[in-house]
Amino acid sequence: MLSNIFTVSFLVSLLASTIRLATPILLPALGQIYTQRAGILNLGVEGTMTIGAVAGFTCAYMSGNLWLGVLGGMFFGMLWCLIMAWLSVTMKANQVIAGTALNILGAGTAAYAYRVVFGIQSLPPQIDPFPTLKIPLLGDIPVLGTIFFQHNILVYLAFILVVVTWFILEKTIFGLKIKAVGEHPRAADAKGISVSGMRYSAVLIGGIYAGAAGAFMSIGYMNLFTEAIISGRGFIAVSVVIFARFLPVRAMWGALLFGFASALQMRLQAQGIEIANQFMLMLPYVMTILALIGSSKKAEFPSAYTKPYSRLER
Amino acid sequence: MPRQFKNIINQILMAVLTIALALLIGAVLIAISGNEPIEAYKTLIAGAFGSKQRFSETMVKTIPLMMMALGTSIAFKAQLWNIGGDGQFIFGAILSIIVGLYSGFPAFLVLPVSMVFAIIGGGLWAGLAGWLKVKFNANEVITTLMLNYVASYFLSFLVYGPLKDPKGFDFPQTEMLSEEVQLPLFATGIRVHAGLFIGIAALIIMIFFWKSTFGFKIDLIGQGDPISRYAGINVKKTIVITMMLSGAFAGLAGWNEVYGVQYRLLDGLVSGYGNLAVVIALLGGLHPVGICISAFFFSALLTGGATMQRMTEIPYSIVDIIQGLVIVFIITRTAFKWKGGRRIHAK
Repeated sequence: MLSNIFTVSFLVSLLASTIRLATPILLPALGQIYTQRAGILNLGVEGTMTIGAVAGFTCAYMSGNLWLGVLGGMFFGMLWCLIMAWLSVTMKANQVIAGTALNILGAGTAAYAYRVVFGIQSLPPQIDPFPTLKIPLLGDIPVLGTIFFQHNILVYLAFILVVVTWFILEKTIFGLKIKAVGEHPRAADAKGISVSGMRYSAVLIGGIYAGAAGAFMSIGYMNLFTEAIISGRGFIAVSVVIFARFLPVRAMWGALLFGFASALQMRLQAQGIEIANQFMLMLPYVMTILALIGSSKKAEFPSAYTKPYSRLER
Repeated sequence: MPRQFKNIINQILMAVLTIALALLIGAVLIAISGNEPIEAYKTLIAGAFGSKQRFSETMVKTIPLMMMALGTSIAFKAQLWNIGGDGQFIFGAILSIIVGLYSGFPAFLVLPVSMVFAIIGGGLWAGLAGWLKVKFNANEVITTLMLNYVASYFLSFLVYGPLKDPKGFDFPQTEMLSEEVQLPLFATGIRVHAGLFIGIAALIIMIFFWKSTFGFKIDLIGQGDPISRYAGINVKKTIVITMMLSGAFAGLAGWNEVYGVQYRLLDGLVSGYGNLAVVIALLGGLHPVGICISAFFFSALLTGGATMQRMTEIPYSIVDIIQGLVIVFIITRTAFKWKGGRRIHAK
């Protein structure tokens, strides 16, 4: 049995699907880095991704254009997070409760919208997903080419966004302002930075990324929509952000770790190998807790994490 | 006293308004989906209360939901955001089934001992998150959430592996509890069971709990750190104990599900009760009686919603939407009265 595992073709397909499965975790995690850096914990990512998945699928199905699907997912993801921003910034509501509400509401709304648009059908409507885009030359390299350069375009874009996100947060004034309102909103306010403006933007950007990830699931991975399409990936993304201590490149490694765990489990199952893979699936969550233990004391959390800001309060 | 009375009336009025508004929006959505809202709600009510069986189903759901929401309310009062009810439920269920299947105790001992084990299981699982919070400053929202996944994979490991029923045709579930240790049913043909009395007992205990010194300490901690430190409370110790108490109730709900409904462990035992417990605890204003009423309301909504989905074209997702709307309205309302009195939910 073990000889089935340690073949080149098994390893290649394992690593290739690691990258594919990391994508829908990486994308929302990158978005949540903005949100959490600005001091807001949005637990509603799961619901936002479900909304993005249904919106992306519907737009792509109706228009016949996959890119419109991605845009639709991004737009509705943003719209959904507008509620989160309003609740957490304007209403100063508790973020945990608001996020929980938006998850329940998001699951319901997505299922309802799908039902209203598509009705009850014996076979779920499907679309042709994004094709595999083999990068010229690089994609022809044996082994490495198959692992890294034979994916659909959304996968490449997600990994390019790691660099983009890092650049925006570390090298632009916008990124500095986001971090400022997360670290010391009062000082930021005194400097003339609009705290609520920056926090709204940070939550909405998180929504755009999460919506795109939802669309990736429905039109770049599954090519259909089901109610359980996200199945916990939104929560995983939230934990990846904390695991990564709010840094994009570490978030990429975190997403790859989760991707690897689920890819390994799928591959082994396909081979009919019975091992206690539950412990493998558990591992990333345990590691998140361990990372949390390691990081919390070092005060790597934004100082104003989950704290609403009000000029009236001291 | 009259002022307190007015307060209670106010709270009830607000809760009713919240639900009415959510149901109204639900009605609009039902109409948009091309169905009759009034007919839909009639089916829903009939589905929850229409016959002895259906009413019994509503009660069967009310018990664990109320237990879990009572637990959630303990943590929330202290401003500890324990959202790991599902994981604590699972650990309660696991420890209690081990007593029932493998301890070899006589039947009359199994029920009480397994209940104690369930309470310990849920309590320790939540206490772990509390300990991580006071020891390492680890955010309890994230740890309880992560521990949910760990618990549910552990459950799945057990029912696929060491605890799998050898004669169970390879289904991922444990052996069945023998009949003499199952909680007795009220009548044949319906599923409501003696766990109801345990639920009522839990409710009464909670009412008195908030009048006790420890209940008052929890309340003080929820008001903010300085106040409780001035009052000389050991905050760290209280946080861990509060989390343990909170989880104990979820563990009890797990015991109730195993000994009263399923009679065994199976994969996917819990199905989102933890989330619902949050909604119920908030709608009930974190008050035991309020929680009891809103647990009953939500289980009627779930049972009725399931019937509605079976009998009509109306999607079950309406029920989810109504739940979500209820929380959104509650937190908006809390935020609105923020300037007036003391805040309950907002931190």
